[in-house]
Amino acid sequence: MNEWFARLADQFRLNFITGDRWTWLLEGFKMTLIITFFATLIGIAIGVVIATVRSSYDKNKESMQKKGGIGYRLLSILNSICGLYLTVIRGTPVVVQLLIMYFIIFASSTNSTMVAIMSFGINSGAYVAEIFRGGIMSVDKGQFEAGRSLGFNYIQTMIYIVIPQMFKIVLPTLCNEFIVLLKETSISGYVGIRDLTKAGDLIRGRTFSAFMPLIAVALIYLVVVIVFTKLVRRLERRLRNSDH
Amino acid sequence: MTTDRNALVRVEGLYKYFGENRVLRGISTEIDKGEVVVVIGPSGSGKSTFLRCLNLLEEPTYGEVWLENKLVTPVDPYLHPDVIELSKTYQKLAAENPEMSREALIEKIRAEDLLHEKHEGKAYKGRMKQIYAENYININLARQKIGMVFQQFNLFANLKILDNITLAPIKLLKMDKAAAEQKAMALLERIGLADKADAYPQQLSGGQTQRVAIVRALAMDPDVMLFDEPTSALDPEMVGEVLDVMKELAASGMTMVVVTHEMGFAKEVGTRVVFIDEGVIKEEAPPQEFFSQPKDPRLQDFLSKVLI
Repeated sequence: MNEWFARLADQFRLNFITGDRWTWLLEGFKMTLIITFFATLIGIAIGVVIATVRSSYDKNKESMQKKGGIGYRLLSILNSICGLYLTVIRGTPVVVQLLIMYFIIFASSTNSTMVAIMSFGINSGAYVAEIFRGGIMSVDKGQFEAGRSLGFNYIQTMIYIVIPQMFKIVLPTLCNEFIVLLKETSISGYVGIRDLTKAGDLIRGRTFSAFMPLIAVALIYLVVVIVFTKLVRRLERRLRNSDH
Repeated sequence: MTTDRNALVRVEGLYKYFGENRVLRGISTEIDKGEVVVVIGPSGSGKSTFLRCLNLLEEPTYGEVWLENKLVTPVDPYLHPDVIELSKTYQKLAAENPEMSREALIEKIRAEDLLHEKHEGKAYKGRMKQIYAENYININLARQKIGMVFQQFNLFANLKILDNITLAPIKLLKMDKAAAEQKAMALLERIGLADKADAYPQQLSGGQTQRVAIVRALAMDPDVMLFDEPTSALDPEMVGEVLDVMKELAASGMTMVVVTHEMGFAKEVGTRVVFIDEGVIKEEAPPQEFFSQPKDPRLQDFLSKVLI
C-alpha cells in the first residue's frame, strides 16, 4: 500500500512539479477561459442580431410584403443570410469549422487565439440566436403592443421592453450554452493552441504517463462546470423569487 | 368625400379580413373632440378589431383612418374616385363599356374590387403617392397622440410602476427625467397609488394595474384614449375603481373610445353609444335614445340579454 502511494507521489512530482509543469496547466487553463469568455461575447452579439432579424422578419413579413419596398427586400435578404448561416453552422462539426477558419479563411493570420475565438464565437452565435429567438417569442405579445401603442417604433420596443424581458427568460439556457462552449474549446489543440486539454496532452507526451495529467485536466473542467452550474442554479432561484 | 373637418378621428370604409374571416365590413364614423364613444356588441362582432384599427395595431384591409385631418393608414384607392379614374382597369373598362357613366364605372370597380395595386400604371401610382405624401402622419407620431388601455393591462413587466409611466415621455417626448417623474407622481397621486411608485406590476392587484395603465397612457398627453374592454379581465370588486378613473377622465373632457360590456358606464358617461354587429355599425345614438328606443332588431335582442 505504502509502495502504491509512493509511486503515486512520484508520478505527481514527475508530471506537475518537475520543470514547473503545473504552470503549463495553469497557462492552458487561462487560455481556455480567455477563448471561452470572448467567444461567448461574440456569440451573444451575433445571437442578438440574428434573433432580432429573424423574429422581426417573422413578425412583419405579412404587413411589409403587402407594401413591398426596399425595407422588405432588405429584411428578407438578411433573413435568408441568417437562415443560411444557421444551417451551415449547425450542420457541420465545430472541429471542421475551426480547421477551415485556421487553414483557409484566416490562413495568413498568425494569431491563432484570435482565430479560435472567432470560430467558437461564430459557432456559438448560431445556437445563441435560436435561444434568443425562443426567448423573444415567449415574451407576452401584449408587452410589444403596449410599447407600440405608446409610439415606440419596432426597434425601440425591442430594446426597452422585449429584449430585457427576453434576457431574463433565457439566462439559464444561456449559461448552459456557456458550459457547452467551455468544453468545446478543448479542441483548440487542433490548431496549435495550448489550451487546458493541449497542456495536459503535452505533459503526457513529455513524461510518458497519461493518468496524472489527463485526470487532472478532466478534474479542472469538472470543477469549473460544477461551480458554474451551482451559480446558475442560484441565479435561477433568485430570478424566480423576485419574479417581477 | 364628405368630410367633417373638425372631427378628431375620422374612419372611412373600414374593412378588416383575417383570411376568410371578414371581421369588419365597412365601418365609417367620426369622433369629435370631447366625445365619449362607447362601443358595444356581441363577442366576435369586431368591436375590438375596430378599436385596434384606429391606432393601426391591426392594419385595415381597406379603408382609411384620419387623426386630426392627417392620414394614419395607407391610402385606400377605392375612397378616391380620381385615383380610380387614373387606373388602367378603369381605362380598359371605359373603353369596353362606352355606354357606362363615370360614376357607374367607379361603382363597378369598387363593388367588384377590381384594382390590382401592381398593374395600374404610373399615373395611378403617382397620384396615390401624392395623396399619401400630402396627408400622412408617421404612425409612431400618431400613436403618441392616441393613448391605449388594454384588457390585459400590459404594464411593462421589467419596469417599476414609475418607470412604466415615465419611459415614453422621456424617450419619445424628450422630457427631462425629473419633470417626467414629477408628472408621473402627480398622476399616481390622482389615482391614489403614489406609494406604489417603486413596486413592480406583478405586485399590484388587477384594478391597481389597470389604473396605472390608464395613467401611463395619460402621461403622453394624448388627444384621444382608446379602451379595449378595460374591465373584462378584472375581479368584479375591482371594476368600480377602474370605472371611477375613467369617469373622472371623461369629466375632464378627454375624448374617449371605449369598447366595453359595462352598460352602466355607457348610460352614465357615454355621449354616444355605437352598436357593432357582424362587422358593421348597426345603430348609433346618444345613450338615452339608444337604450330606451333601440330600432335595430339585433340590438333589441342584444339589450334584452345584457340588461336585466
